[in-house]
Amino acid sequence: MSTPSLTAMPPRRRRRPNWAALALGAYVVAFLGFIVAPIAAVVLVSFSSASFITFPIPGYTLRWYWRIIEYRPFLDAMLVSIEVALASTVLAAALGVPAALALARSRGVPAALVSNFLLAPITVPAIVLGLALLYFLASLSFGLSFTALLIAHTVAGIPYVTRTVLAVYRSLPPDLEEASAVLGATRWQTFRYTTLPLVRPGVFAGGLFAVLTSLDNLPLSFFFGSASTSTLPVVMLSYMENQFDPSIAAVSTVQMLVAIVALVVTDRVYGIEKLTAA
Amino acid sequence: MTSAVPLKLAEISKSFGSLQALKPLTLAIGGGEMLALLGPSGCGKTTTLRIIAGFEAPDTGQVLIGGEDVTDLAPNRRGLGMVFQNYSLFPHMSVAENVAYGLKMRRVPAAERRVRVRRMLDLVRLGQYEDRQIHQLSGGQQQRVALARSLVTNPSVLLLDEPLGALDKNLRERMQFELREIQRRLGITSIIVTHDQEEALTMSDRVAVMAEGRIVQVGAPTEVYERPRTRFVSEFLGTANIFAGTVADRAGPEDWAVTLDLDRAPRSLVRSPEPLAAGRRVLLAVRPERLTIGPPEEDGIPARVQDVVFRGSYFAYELDVPGQDGPVFAYSQARREVPADGRVGLSWPASGAIVLQDAPSSQNSPASQDSPASQDAP
Amino acid sequence: MTTVKADPVPAALAEPAPARRRGTPYRLASSSWTVPVMVFLGFFFVIPLGANLWRSVATGDALVHGPFAFYAKLLGDAYYAGILAETLKVGVIATLASLVVGYPVAYFMVRYAGRWNGLIVFLLIAPLLTSIIMRTFGWRVLLARKGPVTLLLHDWGLIARPTNLADDPIAVYVALVHVLVPFMVLSIVAVLQQVDVRLEESSRVLGAGPLATFFRITLPLSLDGVATGCILVFVVTNGSFLTMLLLGGGKVTTLSLLIYQQFNVAQDTGFAAAMGNLLLFMALICLALQARFLRREGVKA
Repeated sequence: MSTPSLTAMPPRRRRRPNWAALALGAYVVAFLGFIVAPIAAVVLVSFSSASFITFPIPGYTLRWYWRIIEYRPFLDAMLVSIEVALASTVLAAALGVPAALALARSRGVPAALVSNFLLAPITVPAIVLGLALLYFLASLSFGLSFTALLIAHTVAGIPYVTRTVLAVYRSLPPDLEEASAVLGATRWQTFRYTTLPLVRPGVFAGGLFAVLTSLDNLPLSFFFGSASTSTLPVVMLSYMENQFDPSIAAVSTVQMLVAIVALVVTDRVYGIEKLTAA
Repeated sequence: MTSAVPLKLAEISKSFGSLQALKPLTLAIGGGEMLALLGPSGCGKTTTLRIIAGFEAPDTGQVLIGGEDVTDLAPNRRGLGMVFQNYSLFPHMSVAENVAYGLKMRRVPAAERRVRVRRMLDLVRLGQYEDRQIHQLSGGQQQRVALARSLVTNPSVLLLDEPLGALDKNLRERMQFELREIQRRLGITSIIVTHDQEEALTMSDRVAVMAEGRIVQVGAPTEVYERPRTRFVSEFLGTANIFAGTVADRAGPEDWAVTLDLDRAPRSLVRSPEPLAAGRRVLLAVRPERLTIGPPEEDGIPARVQDVVFRGSYFAYELDVPGQDGPVFAYSQARREVPADGRVGLSWPASGAIVLQDAPSSQNSPASQDSPASQDAP
Repeated sequence: MTTVKADPVPAALAEPAPARRRGTPYRLASSSWTVPVMVFLGFFFVIPLGANLWRSVATGDALVHGPFAFYAKLLGDAYYAGILAETLKVGVIATLASLVVGYPVAYFMVRYAGRWNGLIVFLLIAPLLTSIIMRTFGWRVLLARKGPVTLLLHDWGLIARPTNLADDPIAVYVALVHVLVPFMVLSIVAVLQQVDVRLEESSRVLGAGPLATFFRITLPLSLDGVATGCILVFVVTNGSFLTMLLLGGGKVTTLSLLIYQQFNVAQDTGFAAAMGNLLLFMALICLALQARFLRREGVKA
C-alpha cells in the first residue's frame, strides 16, 4: 500500500467481506457434510476388518464383499430388485406415456381429474398401498408372486412417468405436430418422428425416477416377500434383524454403485443435461 | 413448378364456446394469387388459416382446393405448405432433416430427397447450412428453413401465419421482398396472415381486412388503402383523420361540398363516384399526407400546431382543431413555416377525402369516439 | 391476376344455413389413450383401496361390535391413541427441523451459490441413489457407541460417557431430517428463485436492515415453497417406518411402524386395514391443504 508508485493508479479498494454470506456459506458446507456423512461412513465401514462397528477402523478388507457372493439371498434379491424395477418401469411407461400425451393437450375438468387420478398413487403411503394390494391379489390367489410384485411397483411407478411426460409435452409448442401434419405425416408418423423424440427426455427422466424409487421401495416390497420374490431391501432388513455386521454396508455400497451405473448409462444413452432440463 | 390452384372458402363459420370466431365467411383466391388476411388479433384471421390447414373443422361451410372439397380431409392429406408464426422447426433435427421431413413422410427415395432438399436450400440461399442444428441459426435463417420445408413438397397452396413477426424491422422488410419474389417465381397460391398493414400492402395481390370474425373489405392494396369503406379499415391501414359533416351541394362532376360539424362552413370537398344527396350525414376520411397546412387567413379549417415530429422521410404535425375531439395529423415532406402562435389553416383537395360507409353520429357531436368496427374482442 | 370476386357480405341471409357440424381440432392423441392406464389403476389401485375400506368396517370385530369398532379402538384405546399422538409429534418435529435446517441452505443456493449451485444440487440429490437402509445404517454407524459422532461429542465434553446414541430417540429425528431435508430445500428453492432480488434491494433502500428485510419481504414471499415442502415432508414422515425400526431403540413407535409390526406379528387384517386407512386419511388431509394453499396462490402454482 505504502509503496510509492510513479504511475498514478488509484488505490484499489479492498471489498468489504460479506460476513453474513460467509457465515451462511460455512453453514452450508457443514450441512453438506451432514448430508454426505452417513453415506461415506457406510462405504468406509464396508472395508472395515472389524466385524463390529468401531472407529478408527482397525484395518481394511474385502471380506464383506465376498460375503455378498457367498450369501445367496443377497444376490438373488438384487436380481429380483433389478428385474422388478426395470419391468415395472417399462410397464408404467407403456401405460402412462400415451395417457400423458392425451391429457397434456386436453382442457377441462375431466382431463384435470384424470391427470390427478394418475398422480394419486404417489400420495398414498406405500405401506398402505402394499397392504391393500396384498390382500386384494391374495384374494385372486397370486399374492406372493413376481406378478404381484410387478403390479405393485407398476402402480407406484405410473405417477413418476406420467408427471414428467406431462410436463415435457406441455412445454412443447403444439404447432410442431401441426407442422408435421401439414408436411404430410400421418398420425403414426407424427408420433414416431416428432412427438416421441421430443418427449423422450421426459420418459427417461420419469423412468429413471421410477427405477430408483422401485429399487428402494421397502414398504411396498416387504408385503410380497417370499423366497423367490424378496427384493434387496427386504432381504437386507431381515438380515439386519438377525445380525449386525459390515456386510450390510457392502451390499449398500454395491447397490449404490448399481444406481450410479444406471445413471451413467442413461447419461450415455441420453445426455444428463437433457434430463435435468426436463 | 406447380400449376396454380385456386382456393375457395364457402360460408365457413366457427364458434369456440359462446365466442363466434368466424361468422359465415366466403372468400375466393385465384390460382397463383397472394392474398393477405389482415386484422387485429382476435379478428378470426388465424382461425380461417387453421381451418384451411385442417387443424380446426369449421362448424359450417366448405373449403375447396382446386375445386375439390377438402373440408373433412385430415391436414396431412391436403397437400399444403405452411410457415408457422415461430417457424415450428423440429428442434431435434438438422436443417436438411427438417426440409426433408415432408418428402420422407411421402416415402420419396433418399437419393431424390437429397437432390430436392439441396435445390430448395439453394433457392432460399442456405446451401451451406444443411448440417447445422436449428438452434445454431439466426431468426432470418430459421425463417428461410421454414419456407424451404414448406415448399419442398410442391404444395398446392402456401399458408403463411405471421411468418415475419419474429424478425426485427430491417430483416423483416428484406424478407418481405424475398418471400414475395419466391412466391411469384413459383406461382404458388398463397395466403398470408398478418396484423401488420405494411406487410399486407407490400406482399399481397389482394388484401382482405377482417374484423370481428368477418371480412370487412377485400381489394388490391392501393384500393383498400385509398378507398377504405369503413372507418375501421381506414384507421387500421395507417393513420386517418375522420371528420363528420353534412353534404351541402355538388361542386364538380364527382365532387361534393360538405359542411363539417366542426366549423359549419360549406367549403370542404369530397370525391364520390356515387351521387350524394344534399343534407345526407357523412363521415369523411382524410389521410395525413393529403392534408395541406396553409396560412390561417385563407379558407382552410382553423387549427393550431401542437407538435412537430421528424419521422425520417417526412414531418408529422399534430394539430388541435377546435370542435374536433382528439388530434388531427398531417404529414409533409418539407418543413412548413409555422407562425409563432401556431395558427394555421387546413385543407385538402376533393380527391384527398373519401366518404365512409359508417353512419356518423347525431348532428352536433363531432364523430370521433364511436367507432364500432375498431372494437375487437381478442 | 385474379378474376374471382370476393363477396364480403355473407350470403347466408338468402339461403338456409348449411347443416351445423361440430368439428374437433387436430390432435395427435385421443382421449381413448387414457383407457389402458385407467383400467389398470382402477383394478389394482382403486379396488384394493376400496376393499381395504370395506375390510376395516365389515370383518372380524367390526361384525361383532359395529362397523367402526376398529376405528373406535384406534382412537379410544390409550395405547393406540398414544401412538397416534406420537405419529403426529414425530411428523411435526421432523417437519419443523427440516424447515429450520433447510431454509438457510435454500436461501444460500438462490442468492449466493453462483457456480457452486450445481454441486450443491448434486449433493442434495445424490442420496437418492442410495437406499434408505444405507442411510439409516450410516446413522447407526456414526452414532454407535464407538462411532465417530459419539466419540467427537465425548471429546468435546457434550456427553459424559460414550453410549449408543443410535438407540436414543434423537437418532430417529436426525435420520428423518437427513432423508427429508433435500425435499424441503428443493421446494423452497423453486419458489425463492421467483422472488425478485430487487424487492429485497428496494426494502434495503427504503431503510430496512437485513433481518427486517428477510422477515418482512423474503420469508413471506417464499411461504408457498415452505408450505409445499412442509406438507411433503410431513406426509413422507407419516409413511416411513424403517427409521423408527432401525433407530431409536424401539422407543419411537408410529402408525406406520405399528402396521408393519402388526402385519409381521398378528395377522389381524381388519385392524391393519383400519390403521392403513387412518394413515391414508391423514395423507389426504395434507393433500387437500396443499391443493387449497396452491389455489389461493393462483397462477403462480
